[in-house]
Amino acid sequence: MAAWDLSVKVEDLGPDAPPVTISVASDLHVGGVILKLVEKTQMQRNWSDHALWWDQKQRWLLRTAWTLEKYGIHADARLLFMPQHKPLKLGLPSGKTVMLKACFSNPVFQTVMGICRMLNIRHPEELSLLRPVEEKKKKKDKDMTEEIYDLTEVPLSSVSRPCLYNGMPAHFADSEQMEGVYKMLSVTQPPPAPEVIAKQYRPASVVDKSHIHGRWLDSSRCLMQQGIQENDRLWLRFKYYSFYDIEPKYDVVRLTQLYEQARWAILLEDIDCTEEEMMLFGALQYHINKVALSEPQMMSSNAALDDLESALQSLEVKMEGDSSSASDLLENMTAPELNDYLKIFRPKRLTLKGYKQYWFKFQDTSISYFKSKEESIGEPIQQINLKGCEVAPDVNVAAQKFLIRLLIPAPEGMNEVYLRCENEQQYAQWMAGCRLASKGKSLADSSFQSEIQSIRSFLAMQKTNSGSSNNSAASDESINTHSLVSPRYHKKYKPKQLTPRILDAYQNVAQLSLTDALMRFLQIWQALPDFGLSYVVVRFKGSRKDEVLGIAPNRLIRIDLGVGDVVKTWRYNNMKQWNVNWDIKQMAIEFEGNVNIAFGCVTADCKIVHEFIGGYIFMSTRSREKSDTLNEELFHKLTGGHEAL
Amino acid sequence: MDDIDAMFSDLLGEMDHLSQSLAEATVSSGEDAAPQESSFSIGFNNLNESLNELEDHDLDDLMADLESKSTDQQSSTHNDTRNPTGNETSPPAVYQESEPVVTFPMITTQSSRAVKMNEPQTKADKIKVALEKLKEAKVRKLIIKVLMSDNSSKTLMVDERQTVRDVLDTLFEKTHCENSIEWSLCETNPDLQTERAFEDHECLVEPLSAWSRLSENKLYFLSTPQKYMMFTEPQIFYMWKKKSSGDMNSQAKELLIKEHFGGSTTIVPNLEGVLYLKEDGKKVWKPRYFMLRASGIYYVPKGKTKSSTDLACFVRFEKVNVYTTSSYKQKYRAPTDFCFLLKHPCIQKESPYIKILCCEDKHTLLLWVNSIRIAKYGAVLYKNYQAAVTRASILQIPYSALISLKLNHHLTPDFFNPPSGQEYL
Repeated sequence: MAAWDLSVKVEDLGPDAPPVTISVASDLHVGGVILKLVEKTQMQRNWSDHALWWDQKQRWLLRTAWTLEKYGIHADARLLFMPQHKPLKLGLPSGKTVMLKACFSNPVFQTVMGICRMLNIRHPEELSLLRPVEEKKKKKDKDMTEEIYDLTEVPLSSVSRPCLYNGMPAHFADSEQMEGVYKMLSVTQPPPAPEVIAKQYRPASVVDKSHIHGRWLDSSRCLMQQGIQENDRLWLRFKYYSFYDIEPKYDVVRLTQLYEQARWAILLEDIDCTEEEMMLFGALQYHINKVALSEPQMMSSNAALDDLESALQSLEVKMEGDSSSASDLLENMTAPELNDYLKIFRPKRLTLKGYKQYWFKFQDTSISYFKSKEESIGEPIQQINLKGCEVAPDVNVAAQKFLIRLLIPAPEGMNEVYLRCENEQQYAQWMAGCRLASKGKSLADSSFQSEIQSIRSFLAMQKTNSGSSNNSAASDESINTHSLVSPRYHKKYKPKQLTPRILDAYQNVAQLSLTDALMRFLQIWQALPDFGLSYVVVRFKGSRKDEVLGIAPNRLIRIDLGVGDVVKTWRYNNMKQWNVNWDIKQMAIEFEGNVNIAFGCVTADCKIVHEFIGGYIFMSTRSREKSDTLNEELFHKLTGGHEAL
Repeated sequence: MDDIDAMFSDLLGEMDHLSQSLAEATVSSGEDAAPQESSFSIGFNNLNESLNELEDHDLDDLMADLESKSTDQQSSTHNDTRNPTGNETSPPAVYQESEPVVTFPMITTQSSRAVKMNEPQTKADKIKVALEKLKEAKVRKLIIKVLMSDNSSKTLMVDERQTVRDVLDTLFEKTHCENSIEWSLCETNPDLQTERAFEDHECLVEPLSAWSRLSENKLYFLSTPQKYMMFTEPQIFYMWKKKSSGDMNSQAKELLIKEHFGGSTTIVPNLEGVLYLKEDGKKVWKPRYFMLRASGIYYVPKGKTKSSTDLACFVRFEKVNVYTTSSYKQKYRAPTDFCFLLKHPCIQKESPYIKILCCEDKHTLLLWVNSIRIAKYGAVLYKNYQAAVTRASILQIPYSALISLKLNHHLTPDFFNPPSGQEYL
């Protein structure tokens, strides 16, 4: 067969180097071409990751056994010889950026699998890559260069099997720097400064939100085919809001990043919630940050820790049975008490006497009061059981006002009682006692001291907030409450006003462990009515106006833009089939009962919508028995469209 | 040895102290509980007095109940307390151990087992036993009278650790009524004209302790078809907007349940609509647009939109329960009789702290009341349902088979003494 010249640009020779020309015949297979190329360059290096990219056809020549003829390559083909894995700047849900080598030659679905393996995130099918929203660069920001965590040195081969070392994948255990990267991935970030929240792009309407979803990359094509270049910036995000089998033990990074995504969705009002819900989210963020700082990192998931845990447990049992501690145990059964002079006021009583001082005794879940300390042996003037009552703080540190408002249930209704404390110390103790008692716990409960501590740190927060001019390096205890809520509330409330609201919500979450607090945050997020909706602007067949299609894990909804209301819901389980007409970019879906809908997509490519629906159907097929292996083929079948075939 | 002695004298002193305080406590609770004809609750130390006031058939019932308990637990003891006058309260039985001699005040029949089971060998064991005893001594017990729909009644004793589920199981055994998941224990309050079915996981003693002295409240054992309707007919709640959601195949129902209860979060029905609100102290009922969310009930303030950020919180569920009502059209001039209210369980009389809402029709009321239960209890409700289904399927075994099952369990026929014929025939 006749030989002809094929010129190939070799990336490793540099951008200005002329193409390498080799003599080939049409029956030479791609592997042979590569061999000839490598010989000709006379460079010693590992070429195993390299492959040929055909520029005009925008495709990789990955089948090395195929001949040039079979690929249809002639002398005019512009070929590029380069590595399949290239560095990519990846924005994480937490807002941090990592630089890592991602696969540019496989479908994005597989690229994401590789990235998730490297970052130690299970269930990569739930994530995907998104083109970032262009940031308007202001001159001011120029000097603020962001920190990039470098993972490009991780050898690709070492990532294939995640074996754990010290609770983290082995490739993170290599150096202190790498351990630092893992810490960034697996530990929640501190609350952002209010200015940072305010500066970020916030979608103002459903239509704004729908534009975001036009940015998803196509899962069935590779990065090269979608115009992504080496060192480009992409976002890694959870795309399908159907989080399968979250296991805090194995999902440290996944859970952390999911929390970060949820937190930003709340802070940037990407998902709407009520004021009460916002306060609870704020309280949880405050708590999560506090525990994350104090709790020694639970890198978890290694056997040694489990052993330690069980060892500790058995030790505890031993201690319980040990005679030396028996007297302690008995001591514990005689509950501690609080005794002090406090002032009481009952607003609903028709007496205008105001606050009156009595000798108070806090025992078990009740408070009793006496005329004086001397008379405290006798019958109290009154005894109030606080079990089931509502406790609200009314504190102003600057004005030295320390009030505990109690709302105590009684058969006739609720009785209002205010207790006035003299100082911070006294307030923290009695408030902690009231809180525990309202939950039916006595002062002997192990959480008493930590409750006192958390009340104090909240008081500290109010102190620093009130001294507004004092902008010195804030300790971790003093967070600006504006960091915990969306900008809407920055305008509505001063930090000082927010503190008691968040504190109020904080009561119910203060005792949660880090993992439980993260899970609670995610649960409340998932319970929001609009949770899991991805929006696309569409034009229904026969309709003259744009409408919004909401895609949820189990259904599609049609939203009238004029009214903003859901006008129709279709559930996937009633779906018989769906088709995409790629030529006119229209989707047609048939539901049971002869319901047919068809629409063209305005703000996103048809393929994105098609992939969302197919993807959610794929997510619902996952089950415990087969959860270990990802059925990639099925995913592509459901989401690929005609290109996959 | 010295320190052991010292320790035990400490221990005994402690227990003396405890039993004294216990006696005080029960005396005061005895005063509170003036027994009434219809229903009552009393502390167990007062048994003698209250038992005398019981009618004969009630007494029989109660004895049957206590006996079935003692046959479960006493098989290894010789401490027979089945004296109809209530031996439990007579002088504390003294227990003797081999060495060293320890005395424990015997307070209940149940506690005897803990001592006998394992001969305490080491100091540690003994202390454990002692601590268990102390715990046991603190357990509160009530004697309750449960009314049936046919106005007959059953009397039984419950202790504070028993859940409503446990009590329901006892009642199935006693009444032989067909066990289905629909049965509930309901509390009625004639002052407020309210009714609430207790949830299966609640400890029965707790809500009953909120009843005030001289309360006219009653406890009913009733078939309540709505109880688990959110699981048997989930489409009614999760597709409530669809008017024709009447029927659905079981597969689709299962999927709905999985979607809303199967994940890590319970999804609350997105109920919304106009309800009438009785404003504090006023007689007028004002229509308002209400929305249900997992975090509470909200309403749309005047001139605002339905957007989440505009909503005003009407009530949260942490501290309140939901009650159905009767004849509020007459009592409060409500627009309809389909009202429900939210209140702290302790509130027993009219109070501004009670929040009353009125629905247009019966179906809307059903939607709201049960959706609020989903929001309040979440996954617990689903667990209760699953447990109820399991129980119902076990107890569907023909009754004769059940008897032989029971007989086989009690290997000591001495203590198996059929109390009133009809129970086990």
